[in-house]
Amino acid sequence: MSKKLGTSNIWKHALAISLVLFTAFPIYVVIITSFDPTGGISSSSLLPVRFSFDNYILLFTDPLVPYWAWMKNSLIIATATAVTSVAIGAAAAFAFSRLRFKGRKVGLKTLLLIQVFPSFLSLSAIYVIMEQVFLITPTFGLGSIWGLYLIYIGGALGVNVWLLKGFLDSIPLELDESARLDGASVPQVFWLIFLPLAAPVLAVIAVLSFIGTFNEFVLASLFLQDVERRTVAVGLQQFVGGQFEQTWGPFAAGSIIASIPLVIIFLSMQRFIIGGLTAGATKG
Amino acid sequence: MFYKLVGLRGPLALFLKYGFLGGADAFLIWLISAAVNKSSFIIAGVVTAALIFLNYSFITKGAIPLKFLSVGLIFFSIFVVTPTGYTILMSTYNFKTGNEIAKEAALREIINNGIVSDAEGTAYDLFLGKTSNGKFAGILENQVTKELLYGDEKAVRPVAESEITRDISGYITGAKGITTLTDEEFANEDAIITALRFPLGDGSYAAPQGSNVAARLIQSVVYDPVTDQLENIEFGITYIDNGNGNFVAKDDPTTRLDPGWRTYSGFDNFKSLFLDEKLRNPFIKVFIWTIAFAFLSVGTTFAVGMALALALQGPIKFRRFYRGFLILPYAIPSFMSILIWRGLFNKEYGAINMLLGLNIDWFETPWLARFAVILVNLWLGFPYMYLIGSGALQSIPAELEEAASIDGASERQTFYTIKLPLLLQILGPLLIASFAFNFNNFNIIYLLTGGGPTNSIDGEVAGATDILISYAYKTAFGSNFQDLGLSSAISMVMFVIVGTMSMYTLKKSKIMDTL
Repeated sequence: MSKKLGTSNIWKHALAISLVLFTAFPIYVVIITSFDPTGGISSSSLLPVRFSFDNYILLFTDPLVPYWAWMKNSLIIATATAVTSVAIGAAAAFAFSRLRFKGRKVGLKTLLLIQVFPSFLSLSAIYVIMEQVFLITPTFGLGSIWGLYLIYIGGALGVNVWLLKGFLDSIPLELDESARLDGASVPQVFWLIFLPLAAPVLAVIAVLSFIGTFNEFVLASLFLQDVERRTVAVGLQQFVGGQFEQTWGPFAAGSIIASIPLVIIFLSMQRFIIGGLTAGATKG
Repeated sequence: MFYKLVGLRGPLALFLKYGFLGGADAFLIWLISAAVNKSSFIIAGVVTAALIFLNYSFITKGAIPLKFLSVGLIFFSIFVVTPTGYTILMSTYNFKTGNEIAKEAALREIINNGIVSDAEGTAYDLFLGKTSNGKFAGILENQVTKELLYGDEKAVRPVAESEITRDISGYITGAKGITTLTDEEFANEDAIITALRFPLGDGSYAAPQGSNVAARLIQSVVYDPVTDQLENIEFGITYIDNGNGNFVAKDDPTTRLDPGWRTYSGFDNFKSLFLDEKLRNPFIKVFIWTIAFAFLSVGTTFAVGMALALALQGPIKFRRFYRGFLILPYAIPSFMSILIWRGLFNKEYGAINMLLGLNIDWFETPWLARFAVILVNLWLGFPYMYLIGSGALQSIPAELEEAASIDGASERQTFYTIKLPLLLQILGPLLIASFAFNFNNFNIIYLLTGGGPTNSIDGEVAGATDILISYAYKTAFGSNFQDLGLSSAISMVMFVIVGTMSMYTLKKSKIMDTL
């Protein structure tokens, strides 16, 4: 028996270790590149041969590389988008899950359908809209992070409603029925019963939305032209996106710093995230 | 009782609610006034509608669902529904490079382009200056007949020799009422000077060709608004509106005048997508690869993620480390990892060639580029599959497995006949969602290979790794030729495919029944 357990664990370890190597490979290269002052990506050897903090220092000091402004922009826009879209999503999911009204089914189906529309091809339309807004108020128009924020939360209604609704549906109806009998109004049921119960799921959705916004590249690169106003994604892409001149050192250093907060959030919420991802699927 | 105590109808709640509404109102009203100031009446109208809708939904008694939905609905309709509608509309338009502007603007440009030198090549010596009120004016001396004319942008009139001064070689150096231009003025107002037209009164113009020469130009193309035809007087050709955004010669429809204009074209974009070989062949190629890419992505990530979930299910050493480390690809921002992988695959300095001792140009060989895309997507995607896979494994009751092993089934048999079908059933909707996600996975293609390699010698737009969405993007926003109409049509085709799939899944998974 013990022998059998041993052999079955060997393939498990073999699989896990090979995946660890696979996962580690680019991470390892990016780390040694970030400390390599010559700026190439493993230009001569896979072993660390040179070591300096030049690339990190450049991010702090080079006036042409406003890395902290990019970080700040990304954090502001991702936080704002996460909070707003969770608020909008939670309210809408509550309405779809608990309230009965005309157009409810049609509304849900429409949300789903429009959500799978390859929407960023309507870029040109969004661009025209934002150009108009810019003429009125530059704060919310083309080129500003708040304009981009408006576009991001435009999709907030669709993305999370289905996931959240799945979760809310699993909360027993008796709970809000008894609250209603006690004289609670609908908004009270929402604020005092659903929000506390759904808090973990809402947190997961906020994190996923945060990461999604942090990662978003196409819209951001189209809308944020000013160097100072870029997000980290757009700013860092400039280092290596070119066909010929590619400076991997600062890119690697910048990527590592930008990844750290996300990895920490992610690892600390790991358990909730697994629950949140499977909430819609595993029930029933 | 409890609810009355916390009371969301209390003064604090009311204060918060109306504080929020008041703030939003103030902001929206400011936006409306700013829009009216800049005479953007469409925006002013849209914001006014939003303002009314918001206040109606919050102040009115009843209509409770609306209170929960109104804010989201406003953003959704402005930033999602409107652009989507625009895309659908565009797919029925001939809207591409050369056919971008409205008909009036195209007509203006054609007529402007139709101004040519007269057949005799009449030329004038020109003395150009400004009148006392700052308008351009000049003295024109016909190089052949030596006729002298005073001209400004309104008209020309004959002028006497006595009103001008000449230097010894006969060049005109001054005239009554005209001040000479400084060199600086010449340099700064070059564009205005080249666009100057002195009407000669017979429908032709004298136009400066440099600082001291002018030529006689005639309008060779005339538009007749009654018949909606253009007439080239010089060559006697009639051009008619071909109904598809261009003026073409009446006798030879292949001779087109540029520019054209955007115009409604019904289902032409869809027809050419399916019937025109130059478009159909790349479309089919891209379509097949899109399906293959989505299947391979889901297949590889699911296989690896599920195997890992099974491996880490039971007690095993280093489990916590494996778990924590192996979900890193899911936590690291994907745009960064994709770009890093791009560097690793580089032919000259990439770590992969170095590690394997090869000298392969991964992104210039179609099959290797496709392999690279799948591999990188596996790296990015297996942690997600692992996470949902282990979640699903936990939800399979342990009794099932025990029962099977009591009946004498091997571990392998139990997995393939009992667990896997159950897993697929549980994870079905998520797998389909993942398929739809990869179907539209623009980032990995755009950032890793840019859709390449592309056979640019044949002028192809679609590359070997292009999927529909990146192909549509290139079609709409490419560097040389942009076709918004066709691109929107491709979007519509994608929408129909993914939309049908989603609806089918929903039906199948019976979620719709419990709505």
